[in-house]
Amino acid sequence: MTSSPIVAAQLVRHFGSGDDVVKAVDGVDLEVNAGEIFGLLGPNGAGKSTIVRVFTTLLKPTSGSARVAGFDVVRDADKVRRSIGVALQDAAIDPLMTGRELLNLQAVLYGLTKGAGRTRGDELLERVGLTAAAERRVGTYSGGMRRRLDLALSLVHEPTVLFLDEPTTGLDPMSRLTLWEEVRRLNKSGTTVLLTTQYLEEADQLADRIAIVDHGRIVRAGVPRDLKAQVGSPTLFIDVDQSHIESARSTLARFGELRPSAEGTLGVGLVRGAEDVALVVRALDAAGIKVRHLELNEPSLDDVFAEATGHRLEGAQ
Amino acid sequence: MSIATTVAHSAQLTKRSVRGRLRQPAALAPAFIFPLFFAALGSASFNRLARDPYFSENIASSFLDYAVAGAVVQGVLFGATSAAGDLATDIEQGFFERLLASPISRVSIVLGRLAASMVVGVSQVVVFISLFVAFGARVTSGAVGVIGLIVSGALLGLAMAGLMAAIAIKSGSPEVVQGSFPLVFVLLFLSSAFFPRHYMTGWYRTVADWNPMSHIVEGMQGFMNHELNVDQFVKAWLVPLGISIVGIAFALRSLNRRLAAS
Amino acid sequence: MSAVVETRRHDANARSLDVIVALVRRSLLRVRRLPSAFIPSLIMPVFQLVTFSGAFGAAVRFLGIDPMNWYMPLNAIQGASFGALGVSFGLLNDMETGFFDRVLMAPARRSIIVFGSYAAAIARSVVPVTFVILVSFLGGLHTPGGPVAIAMVIMASVMVALSACGLALGLTLRLRNLGAATLTQFAIFFGIFLSTSQVPLSEMSGWLQACARVNPMTNILRFARQGFLGDITWAQTWGGLVAMVALLAASTIFALTGLRRFER
Repeated sequence: MTSSPIVAAQLVRHFGSGDDVVKAVDGVDLEVNAGEIFGLLGPNGAGKSTIVRVFTTLLKPTSGSARVAGFDVVRDADKVRRSIGVALQDAAIDPLMTGRELLNLQAVLYGLTKGAGRTRGDELLERVGLTAAAERRVGTYSGGMRRRLDLALSLVHEPTVLFLDEPTTGLDPMSRLTLWEEVRRLNKSGTTVLLTTQYLEEADQLADRIAIVDHGRIVRAGVPRDLKAQVGSPTLFIDVDQSHIESARSTLARFGELRPSAEGTLGVGLVRGAEDVALVVRALDAAGIKVRHLELNEPSLDDVFAEATGHRLEGAQ
Repeated sequence: MSIATTVAHSAQLTKRSVRGRLRQPAALAPAFIFPLFFAALGSASFNRLARDPYFSENIASSFLDYAVAGAVVQGVLFGATSAAGDLATDIEQGFFERLLASPISRVSIVLGRLAASMVVGVSQVVVFISLFVAFGARVTSGAVGVIGLIVSGALLGLAMAGLMAAIAIKSGSPEVVQGSFPLVFVLLFLSSAFFPRHYMTGWYRTVADWNPMSHIVEGMQGFMNHELNVDQFVKAWLVPLGISIVGIAFALRSLNRRLAAS
Repeated sequence: MSAVVETRRHDANARSLDVIVALVRRSLLRVRRLPSAFIPSLIMPVFQLVTFSGAFGAAVRFLGIDPMNWYMPLNAIQGASFGALGVSFGLLNDMETGFFDRVLMAPARRSIIVFGSYAAAIARSVVPVTFVILVSFLGGLHTPGGPVAIAMVIMASVMVALSACGLALGLTLRLRNLGAATLTQFAIFFGIFLSTSQVPLSEMSGWLQACARVNPMTNILRFARQGFLGDITWAQTWGGLVAMVALLAASTIFALTGLRRFER
């Protein structure tokens, strides 16, 4: 039996039945190594949160299996809960309580004694920078503060495995960086982290390995650097007048493989990268096509996603 | 802006309000279900009262006949509070601002809601009387009495809607309007809406005697249970009309203040 | 693992009690911090005590019954059952904020969610019930049955509050929307009023008498009222005990099965 802290085998989770069935997770195989940060990357509705909810025992699998910290999520749900910390998509807090009260409650829920809970609460408040706001009602906290408190709540019992579901969605850039720092610090101290995100940069910056999720399936998995290298060549994106789009398409096709791009633009993979740009521009000019804008992008996780699924992640270019 | 335009705009907004009420059956239900239930409960619980000579000679021949007016009044008051809640929601969600930004008569924004309350009030009276008659109640004063009841329901709807609209416009909050609903409840219970004043005692009786709601209800009960006389029209029409005038004045004053503040 | 976290209680029973106490504390904290949500449950039963005894009092005075003695047990039970509604709203709020997920992920026994809510419902019912009893004494309540009569009213109020809480939980866990609170309100309202709420069985006519005969609330009210109307007897007691236990058992099963369904 594998000693990986997070394992899924042919994991399936459906909602509804008959013609209305929604296959939120459709056969996922996954193994996270101890001590790594593993990212699940995908657009809204890909199934990332559902996978997390199965791992964290909030949902039962329709079929397949999932194990966390060595325990089956269905048969040994209680043991799984003792071993994991979870910060879900919405900061799971009670706005009428203060930060300290919530931490005390969390400590009780996880079986810490009163004194131990208080000490642990103080430690965590210090760690996430909320000591000064500890006696204030959480309803008065900013979005970033709520997320930090949510993270603190998930760490009360010192879990060995931490699940973070879109931890920085809706945060300003500074708050996002602060949270990334905290996640790295936790991971350095030995916590295995599985995080879901729709932000390419987050997956790139934080994750040791990632899995790209689309329509409930994992379409690519591996180290970000290796995945990008597999896509291969850089992509040249050009912006042309709509009336020239078809002739631009056929011109570009002579230089490399056409790639998915945002509406109104065209993308082509250039094997020799920047060296080929001049040739492309001359060919477009010779065809009488006016180029409004061009950009040469090194392979990104969005290219990996596009290559695997045929479309780009939302908001990415 | 001419009166004809104001009337036309008011009619449009009345239509909107009535349509809005009909599309929220869950909000409309309490204005029908609870009054009917309380009347049914009362007539099944208190029918012994009908054997008391004073009751049968001076008040009504059965408790069901007695309870009709109270049910109508309760339904109309519930309905008027919901209508005011809708107005406050319009303010809270910005639709009120949208109306103000359009070339619509200002006064029609309020009058539309009030007229809708009258329309709903009339329909409530018609529904209630039909149901009660089907269950054995009798309108002693005949067809004129029925008209008297309908007009009374409309005027009461107008009166309460005016007062509640003033609260809605001033606060702009559906929660505040809902919060004033208990006062309506208090007004109803401390009256002869559910039980004859004659049998009350002490301070309770005194309060019920002075409560204008008692007199409005008794006017309506007169239409139900006695031959026509002027006293019924005074109580069931003039009292709510007087309150309507005050209510509309308050509502328009609140509107002017809100417009001046923006 | 740090020494701090190592000092967990391993006694499962002690831990369950800690969790229940913590959940009750939280519920009372919410009442203190959002009093506007609690005040109607305090005022409404007292208001109805005053208005029912003032407006409808004559109906029972004809039978030689003091109105305050007749209505107080009804309104005490009503006040306690409003606490159940507070539980439903609280749970809905927790589902919306995601806090309920946090409670679900805790390694405490699942049934704690139900029994913790029960404890909270009892705590929340203390003030309305006490208030109603105090006001009724001011209004001239007398107790032929002595202190036992008060104890019986309190017992009936608590048992009804728990049953209402179980119903509210079961509905909220199944429906997961405000419809659950509305249905609970309706169930409490009709359950209370379609009984001997206003007059004794013998005074009722037709359909209402038929409903009241089969309504467990009739037995519960008989149980709770007897000490204020005369002597306490076994004949008037056993039916109420059976009704209270049966209602509580049914609503608890409803709540626990609702919890199981929620996790599917």
